[in-house]
Amino acid sequence: MRKRRRLSVVDVLSLGLGLGILAFVVVGVFLTLTESQAPLSPRQWLDLVVFGLAQGSVYALIALGYTLVYGVLFMINFAHGDVFMFGAMTSFFVADALASPDPVTGASFLNSNPLIGMLLTLATAALASMIVAVLLERIAYRPLRRAPRLVPLITAIGASLFISNSVRGLYGEQVKAYPRLDVLQGPWTILGYEILPSHAIVIVSAVILMAVLWWFVEKTKTGRSMRAVSENKDTAALMGINVDRVIATTFAIGGLLAGAAGVLYAIVFNQVSWTIGFLPGIKAFTAAVLGGIGNIIGAMIGGVLLGTMESVAPTLLLSGYGVPSPTQLKDVIAFSILVLVLIFRPSGLLGQPENK
Amino acid sequence: MTDWIAFLRRNARLGLIGGIVSLYLAAVGIVLAFSERNVIVFSDDVSLTLGRVMLALPPIGIGYFAARSGGGIPTRLTAGLLAGFVTGLVQGAGLLVASALSPQIRDVLIRITPELISFVSFGLDPVVGAVLGVAICSLLGLAAAAIEVTRAAVRRPIIGGFLAVGILSLAEPFVRPRLQDMDLPNVANFLYQDHGLTVAAAVLAFVAGAAIAVLWKPSRAAINRRMAAADPGQQRMVRWAWALVVIAFLYALPVKIAGPFLTQVLVLVGLYILLGLGLNIVVGFAGLLDLGYVAFYAVGSYLTALLTSPNSSLGIGMSFWVALPIVVLGTAIVGLFIGAPVLRLRGDYLAIVTLGFGEIARLLFLSDALAPWLGGVQGITGIPDIIDSGTYTLPLIGEVSGPAATFYPLLALCAAGAYFAYRLKYARVGRAWNAMREDEDVAQATGVNTTNFKLLAFALGASIGSLGGAVFATHLESVFPGSFVLQVSITTLAVVVLGGMGSIPGVVVGALVLIGLPEMLREFAEFKLLVYGAVLVVVMILRPEGLLPDVGRRRELHEAEEAEEVARTAAPSQAS
Repeated sequence: MRKRRRLSVVDVLSLGLGLGILAFVVVGVFLTLTESQAPLSPRQWLDLVVFGLAQGSVYALIALGYTLVYGVLFMINFAHGDVFMFGAMTSFFVADALASPDPVTGASFLNSNPLIGMLLTLATAALASMIVAVLLERIAYRPLRRAPRLVPLITAIGASLFISNSVRGLYGEQVKAYPRLDVLQGPWTILGYEILPSHAIVIVSAVILMAVLWWFVEKTKTGRSMRAVSENKDTAALMGINVDRVIATTFAIGGLLAGAAGVLYAIVFNQVSWTIGFLPGIKAFTAAVLGGIGNIIGAMIGGVLLGTMESVAPTLLLSGYGVPSPTQLKDVIAFSILVLVLIFRPSGLLGQPENK
Repeated sequence: MTDWIAFLRRNARLGLIGGIVSLYLAAVGIVLAFSERNVIVFSDDVSLTLGRVMLALPPIGIGYFAARSGGGIPTRLTAGLLAGFVTGLVQGAGLLVASALSPQIRDVLIRITPELISFVSFGLDPVVGAVLGVAICSLLGLAAAAIEVTRAAVRRPIIGGFLAVGILSLAEPFVRPRLQDMDLPNVANFLYQDHGLTVAAAVLAFVAGAAIAVLWKPSRAAINRRMAAADPGQQRMVRWAWALVVIAFLYALPVKIAGPFLTQVLVLVGLYILLGLGLNIVVGFAGLLDLGYVAFYAVGSYLTALLTSPNSSLGIGMSFWVALPIVVLGTAIVGLFIGAPVLRLRGDYLAIVTLGFGEIARLLFLSDALAPWLGGVQGITGIPDIIDSGTYTLPLIGEVSGPAATFYPLLALCAAGAYFAYRLKYARVGRAWNAMREDEDVAQATGVNTTNFKLLAFALGASIGSLGGAVFATHLESVFPGSFVLQVSITTLAVVVLGGMGSIPGVVVGALVLIGLPEMLREFAEFKLLVYGAVLVVVMILRPEGLLPDVGRRRELHEAEEAEEVARTAAPSQAS
């Protein structure tokens, strides 16, 4: 009885914050939609949604890495965004080499064999990210498995800084223009609606990768041992599962997906640099939490949802209030979603509330 | 036979690690960046550069580590030699590959330039350079192993001597101009030549360092013994005398000893000491990892700017000392508001939410939407100095201006902050935080109101951080959103972690090492964050309690090992 009264100040504060934000959102949407001069045409709204879906699929692929690792180790792999960045940066060199025009014919390998070229790039990125992720686990996280919770988190922050600045030193700090594919230029018409091919490719590839992952985790023996380890490490070890190897495999799969996400990111945004790990990393983490961390389907849904919200919400919410240049605040929206989800529903959309 | 193979494998593996570290240092650009910086100058064209030292450190470290195995002295020496040899082989192989593929490899790894290759191969043919490198690495590994196997009485002075040479040589950018200023050009020329130590100075520094190392331990033990024997009144007097010496030193430091350049660095260190003290309350005392700590720094700066600058949107133009209480109180309130909603989150979520808050704060300061009040990208300018437009006179010191004018008030605030944190730590609040950090459920069950104490930690941490923000604003005379990036939070975290979480002297040491030392190595600026990241990882793995550990914290972090130790020692006795 007494305890409840004590907590109530914080409860009231949280409730007030929640209601205030809800009111802000409802009024903002209402004002924007009833504006005499519509800020965007229906076509433009749809474009925003498709762009949001494309960047959301990238977030979803990265988010899977957070969720998988959280599932087995109950730690946030803060450096995962930089694992993604490393894949994107490394694959740039392969893509760039493939895109260089042949001196005789003038055509580049990437444009004459787009599928093989893209698969090669994708494989490089996935491999590069996988190696970094496995090394990260082996060097930085494995010695700390029994340490207090704060310790691996601080290590992860350090590792994130270390990876991104190593890439800056190794590959240089210039922003690199990712080669574009001729095949992906010009709109495709799907169901009477014109869509950018790059967006379509990104969405489709992400869906395929996620389906493969789902199959892997649910149907294969390794997947089953991963689930066993995430239930209980000690029991899993007693059942003859090599826990260390399963954890390393989890990091490897997370790395593979992050590397693939790196290439897809490059296809959507056309440029990569050593700094691109941080924001997509944080946003993917938001997506993982939004869907319920530790939950694979949740990470996919969370990623797509967050990408779409980030693309649509600034205009939808803020232009009604007459805020100048609302898209400047798109990262504020993403961070606000992060903060709000963690405060009001830390278990996410699909997660079970923690019984701790 | 198998022992022999195991020995070979172990040391080859260590050597491989050393070699990979060397290749990394070269590829990331550290070796070449330091190749212009002289450590010891032998003659006009022969000198030992810092880049060479960087290449030598991996074989030395690996050789030293390899010798820390069991077995007799010859075995351990061989281990060091072997590890150094393999390190050299990897370095040499890297050099040969790099020189064979020179233009192509440079397209990807931009730091592997012809200059680097020529530097690593001593300006000789790459093959000759590689062979020479293998020989040198083997010898360095052997030498390091030799130092390891000797008795502590011999080892200590050798290491002390090398440390002294390193420190004196790195301090060149401060010491030499200062000696010139003080009209001692002869001393400066005796010590330094071409920005490196002269041979005579190096020998002198080595001897001095070795002497200090020899005398340090016995004399300290003697002092401790005499102190313990003295009666309490005398002990107190000795402590007061020490405090007076330290205060006198700090009082004279900026103008009489350090000079403007070093004082500028000290101001930076002081700012991070304030930030570290504040973050230490949140992270070290209460165990809440706050990654958005920069938000409080920013709020402190912006509040100071709004209140004191005549150019701000408020345009009041208060004096600094009148504004300071308002700034502290305002930031504490912001701390409460940020703290309240996140209290119930678990440790790692709390870290990410605070990171989110920090970024939101920065983006809001930057945005056009709030520009009419906060100035947007342009920030707020025209913030007055702390005391009398930046120039004042102090007894025995004379006129004080420039960075020294900020130094004294900053020193006072640091001292106040440290005293405050110290008192908090041993007060009821501190004990409550301690209990909460170790086990929240138990703390709650024993009657600690965890909600209130967490809020208090946030508010107090925020207000100490705001002091740093206030001084920062007046020191730069303007505030820009660009100064308040995530890096500041992480650097502050590194300061706290390196010094030891929960340890107040640790914050000072952490700030001196992580903020002060990089200023000695201007070439190093580019790799600062790389090193901070490495520091966080290495400290957490090897020494989670930091350099100057807090006693309770140390026990907590090594609890598992101690329990194992107890179990291991207990088991045989049970069996018998």
